[in-house]
Amino acid sequence: MMYSREVARRVFLAELKRSDLSFREGDDSQYAPQYLLTPTGARCNRVFVVGTLIERDDIGEEVEYWRGRLADPTGSILIYAGQYQPEASRALAEIEIPSFVAVVGKPSVYETEDGRKITSIRAEAVQKVDLDTRNKWIIEAARRTLERLELMRSIDVPQSTDFRPGTIYHPEATTVEDCRKARGHYSTNISEYKQMVLTALSAIRKEQAIEESMPAEAHVMPEVHAETRTPGEVEMQDPPVRGKLPVDYEADSRAESLKPDAYTKPQPGRRRQTGSKRISSLVDLENDDIEEIDI
Amino acid sequence: MKDIEQIVSRLSELGISVSTEDVEKRYRLLVDKFQVPPREAQRSVLNYFLKEKGVALPARKSEQVKINQIREPGRWVDLEAKVLSLFDSPSPAISQAGILGDETGNIRFVKWAKSEQPDLVEGRSYLLRNLVTDEFQGRFSVKINRSTEIAELDRDIESAVLPQSSADYKVVDISGPGQWINLRAKVVQLWEPSSDSIQQQGLLGDETGVVRFVKWAKSEQPDLVEGRSYLFRNLVTDEFQGRFSVKINRSTVIEETEEPIEVSLNRRISGAIVDIQKGSGLIKRCPTCKRPLSKGMCAEHGKVEGVYDLRVKAAIDDGLIVQDILINRERVEELIGLTMEQAKEMAMEALDHEVVLALIEEKLIGRYFEVTGPVRDRYLLVDSIKEMPFSDEDLSLLVSRAEGL
Repeated sequence: MMYSREVARRVFLAELKRSDLSFREGDDSQYAPQYLLTPTGARCNRVFVVGTLIERDDIGEEVEYWRGRLADPTGSILIYAGQYQPEASRALAEIEIPSFVAVVGKPSVYETEDGRKITSIRAEAVQKVDLDTRNKWIIEAARRTLERLELMRSIDVPQSTDFRPGTIYHPEATTVEDCRKARGHYSTNISEYKQMVLTALSAIRKEQAIEESMPAEAHVMPEVHAETRTPGEVEMQDPPVRGKLPVDYEADSRAESLKPDAYTKPQPGRRRQTGSKRISSLVDLENDDIEEIDI
Repeated sequence: MKDIEQIVSRLSELGISVSTEDVEKRYRLLVDKFQVPPREAQRSVLNYFLKEKGVALPARKSEQVKINQIREPGRWVDLEAKVLSLFDSPSPAISQAGILGDETGNIRFVKWAKSEQPDLVEGRSYLLRNLVTDEFQGRFSVKINRSTEIAELDRDIESAVLPQSSADYKVVDISGPGQWINLRAKVVQLWEPSSDSIQQQGLLGDETGVVRFVKWAKSEQPDLVEGRSYLFRNLVTDEFQGRFSVKINRSTVIEETEEPIEVSLNRRISGAIVDIQKGSGLIKRCPTCKRPLSKGMCAEHGKVEGVYDLRVKAAIDDGLIVQDILINRERVEELIGLTMEQAKEMAMEALDHEVVLALIEEKLIGRYFEVTGPVRDRYLLVDSIKEMPFSDEDLSLLVSRAEGL
C-alpha cells in the first residue's frame, strides 16, 4: 500500500484546546493512526498552527524537555518537544520570546489523575515566521473552519447520507460522519465557533489598521492576543517524558518510518492506463530523461 | 465440512460473521444428537443465527422503502431505483459497485460475486427485492446478495441528483471517490475505449491539471469532441490504485462552452511547507548515474567521487491534501538566496552540511507557497515556487462568509 502522510489540519487554538475526543482508526492495532476529533469535525492526526510563542520552560529532569505556550487570537495551547524531537526542541529553546512561530505536530490528549483531559501539541517542527505568514494562516484556518461549520450546518436538514450538499462546501475539510460524531460528543454550538472565526479574522484587520496609523519602526513586537490562560485553570500537569506515553499519535510516525523508501533507485517509466492506444507527447512524461531525477 | 462451510459463507454474505466452530457445534447437535437430516439441519442452523443476530429473513419481512428511509444496517428492503453510476470494483469478492438513486436521494450499492446475480446496467431502473442494508462510518449502502430479486422496470425513475447539489471543482481538488462534482474542462485526448460498456474515454484538463474520464455507453450522453471545452455537471469521481477519474453518467449535464481553457499538465498547489525530508540540502551524486550517494556510496557504482548538488524534498500541505515536492538546484538557490558554491563555502566554514539544511528550513517551513510542476509518481517536480500572496479580498470574503453562517 502506498505510504501516505497525514494531512496537517488547520484548527484555531481555542477549538484545539478543548478537543478531547481521540480514537484509533480501523483495527485496534498499535499501528493504526490515532485521531483527535474537534468540535467542528476536524479529524486530526497532525496539526499546523501559527501563533505567538509567549512562554517557554525546560521542564525536563535529566534530559531537556521543553514546554512552550503558543497563543493565537482565539486562545492558547501548550507545546512540548523533548529528546525525541531534537530539532523542534532546539528551536523551542532558542527562539526569542515573544515571536511568531509556526508549529507542525501531533495533538496529544493527556488524562490527569483526577480525570481531567489536557490537550497539547507534541511538536515535529517549530519555526520562527513573520506576521505575514501568521496572517495567511489565520485566513487558511478560518477557511477550513468555515467549511466544516457549513457542512455541520447543512446536516441539520435530514436527507440521505449519500447526498452531498451544494457548492457551499469544498472537498474533505470534514465529512458528514465526522460532523455527526463531533456534534454528538461536543454538542457543538455553531454560533460560538462562527464567533471564534470572526474574532480571529478581526485580529488581522486590527493590525492592518494599526500598521496604517503607526510609523514603520514601531511594529517590531508582535501583539499578544486574547486569553493566555483560561480563567480558573490550575497549575498545569505535564505529560511525563518517560514511562507511559500519553495517549497520542505515534502510530503515524512509527508506521512512516517502517515503510521502506521505494524511491532510492530511479524507477523505469510507468505504463499509462491499459486499453489506451494513443499517447501523444503531450502526456508522455516518460520521455523526459529519468536518469536526471534521483527519486 | 461442506455443509458447514456453506452455512458460514451464506451468513457472511448477509453481513453476519460467525465462527465456524459455533456453526459446527449447532449443526452437529442437530445432526448427531437429534438425527435431523442434513438439509433440514442446514436451514435450521442458518435461521438460528439469523435470528440471533436480529436479521429478519427475506421471506418474512422485506419492506419497500425510499432511499432516504434507509437509516439502519441489517434490514431487508425493496427498492425501486435507477443506476446512476458504476465504479471499478474494489475487490474480487465484489462483482459490481455503484450508486442507485430515486427521487429522495442516492445510495451506494455493492453486488457480491458470490450472489451470482446479473450485472446492473447504468441508466436503467430496477425493482430490487431483498437487498440488505449496511453501514460503514456513517455511510449507508445496500448489498445485492443471493436472495435478491432483480427486475428491470419499464419506466424511468426520476433521480434526486439535482445540478446544484454538486460542488464546483478544479481538477486539482479531486481528492477521493464518490464525490459529485461540476467541472469546466477541455477534452485533451480521446482514447480507444477499453471495454464494450465504455463509449468514450480519455483525458479532461483545466488550469490545475488533467484527469481521466469515462463515458459509459448506457449513459446516453452526446459524444465529446477532442479539443472542445465543456461545462460538466454531476460527474462522479472514482479512484483506482491511487489514480482518480471522473465518470460521465446518466445524470450528467454537458454544455459546450466557448470559454477558453488553458490546460496545464502541471499540478498547481498552494499551501504551507510542513516538512523537509531526508536527503535535502547539499548532497552528492554519482557522476555516472546521478543517484544521490549514501555515505559516499552509489547503489549501482559503489564508492565514487561524488558531484555536489543542492535540492530539497519537502511536503506541502493545505489542510486538505499533502503533496510531496522535489525542488531542484536552481529553485533552491532562489529560495535561500545563495548559489550552491556559496552554500558549500558556508558548510565548509561551519564544518557541517547541516547549516545549509537549517537555512533551508528557516526559509521554507511554516511558510506559504504556490507550487507548480508535473507530478511523477509520488513527487511534484517543482517548475515554479513562489511565495503565496496575502489576499485582502480573501479576508473580506471570509468575513462575509462567516457572518452569513
